[in-house]
Order: sequence, then structure tokens, then C-alpha cells
Amino acid sequence: MIQLTHEMRSGWCVVVARGRADSAAADELEAALRSAVEQSPKVAADLGAVDYISSAGLRAILQGARAAQECRGEFVVCRLTAGVKRVFEMSGMRHILRIEEELPC
Amino acid sequence: MLTMLEEVVLLAVDEKTGTLRSTREFGTAYALVGAVFFDLALARKIDTDTEQIQILDASPTGNPTLDRVLTEMRGRPEVKTVRNWIEALFQSKDDLEGQALASLIERGILLHEKTKRLWIIDVERFPLVNNQPQEHVKLRLTRAILGDGIPETRDIMLVSLAEPCGLLGFFLTDMQRAVRGERIRMLCHLETISRKVAEAIAALDASLRQGGSTSNAAQSLR
Repeated sequence: MIQLTHEMRSGWCVVVARGRADSAAADELEAALRSAVEQSPKVAADLGAVDYISSAGLRAILQGARAAQECRGEFVVCRLTAGVKRVFEMSGMRHILRIEEELPC
Repeated sequence: MLTMLEEVVLLAVDEKTGTLRSTREFGTAYALVGAVFFDLALARKIDTDTEQIQILDASPTGNPTLDRVLTEMRGRPEVKTVRNWIEALFQSKDDLEGQALASLIERGILLHEKTKRLWIIDVERFPLVNNQPQEHVKLRLTRAILGDGIPETRDIMLVSLAEPCGLLGFFLTDMQRAVRGERIRMLCHLETISRKVAEAIAALDASLRQGGSTSNAAQSLR
């Protein structure tokens, strides 16, 4: 189960995710990120309240970032919880995604 | 659309001779298993985290190969990790290849020819009837590897399966692979299934170096 909201802050569209980013949530998560990319050239995915991420969740975030890249926009993933950070590190996501401790706005 | 399994097998077909090629036989076997898991993941039947594999929906996909694997997985709840499932399905590698070839023949992409060498040895070949699907797969992989952007999910998966089979060398030059080595390694590392395929291959290689047979090596990893 995932809860997704988004808001504009200082020129950034911040997509806030809460809950589990798994297969059941992947389509919704990717759609929210793609929608944010359409609305703003700067998108931040706030994962501060995501307590679990599976391979399907990672793919959704990666494809959101891909959409931003195609529009030559900025895409940043922020505030990873310890468990999610571990998954990102194991996957080497930092080599392909911009990951920050805090929101850029 | 072709399955990931069909795309890996299609990539292994030599476009000139119709023979199946690979520089790493056992790498290919593991990659075929990985391809089936990716197909099931794309069909939203399974999901993985860093170690474990979960069945999300055991209803049939309509693809006989995927449904057979899904049924086997449902029947063995004691096998939970991605690595153990890769080892468990390693024994089915010939079936997986055969079923993918049969599907590619049925789709009109390959032809099946059986000839005899020296009058006694059966030689099977699978000449391309339609080379467009293979060219399309090669083009996608080339773009994923030589480009700097984030590739599509399927292309990330396919790179991570083609690399351990030694299939990239059939359409990229040695120079291209050397220059883009870091990029290839990065793409291969993104997916749990690919990382576990690579681990299985490394363990098998280590076991073979120590003098064990392939089947013994595979058994010992279970």
C-alpha cells in the first residue's frame, strides 16, 4: 500500500510517497512521477516515509527518472530511510540517479 | 512482443549460420533462468527484494513456459530466495531453450533445420527467416550500452542477461565493450535477479576450477 501526494515548492514538484513501494504500488508510483515530470522541469521524489522498496518499486523510480531525462529535466530522490537506502546501495542506483539526503527545496 | 527468454535465445542465433552461439555455456543457462524470472516480474506475477522472491499472483499468464515455472514455484514454498530458485531451475535449462526456440519458429522468426554431419551426427540449425526482431534487440542493447541515459526497464534486464552469456561480443566490438565496461557493469548490477545470476555463475566457475562437475557444482549450491 502506498500513499502519494505532490506539491509545488520553490519551483520543484515534490512527490511524497508513504508506505510500501512494491509491485502493487509500482504502476501508481511511476504514474505519479511521470505526471510530476509533465508538470515541472524539476522533480523531487521524497521517500522519507517509504519503509520498504522492492525491485518493482526501484524500476518505477528509475522510469520516472528516465521520463525526466527525456524532457531534459532534473530528477532527485531524497530522504531515503535506512532500509530503502540499503536497497539503493546494493543496486548501485547512485551511479544512475541523483540521490540526496534532504529535499532540494 | 517477444518474451525476455525468447529475446535472449534469439540473440544467441548466429545470423550467418543459424547455429546457437555463446561464449559461456553455463552463463547462458543461468541467464535463461534469469530471463524467465524477469518475464514473470514484468507480468506482475513475482516480485523480488534484495534476497527473496515472492509470488504475487499464481494465475496463468497464457505462456506455457512461464506458467510451468509459476506452478513449480507455487508447489515449492520452502524455496524462498532468488539464488535458490535460480539454482533450482538451472536443471530445466534445456527445456527453457527448447521452448523459446519452438515459440520463435511458430512466430515465423526462425526455421528449424536438421542435417547430418559425416552421415551420422545430427546437426540442428535455426536460420533466421525474419531478421528484424534480432536486429531490433541488438539495436536496443547497443543504444542502452553506448548511450548515457537511463534505458527502458526491459533493456536494462536484457543487457544484464546478455552480458553473462557472452552475447554482447556478437554485436559490439571489443573496443566498444572495453570503453563501456563500467556502464555495462552498472546496468548489470541494477536488478536483484541479475546480481544473483552473476553470483551463481561465479560460484559455478569457482566450483569447476576446483575440479567438480557441473551438476555436482549446481547441486552443491542448493
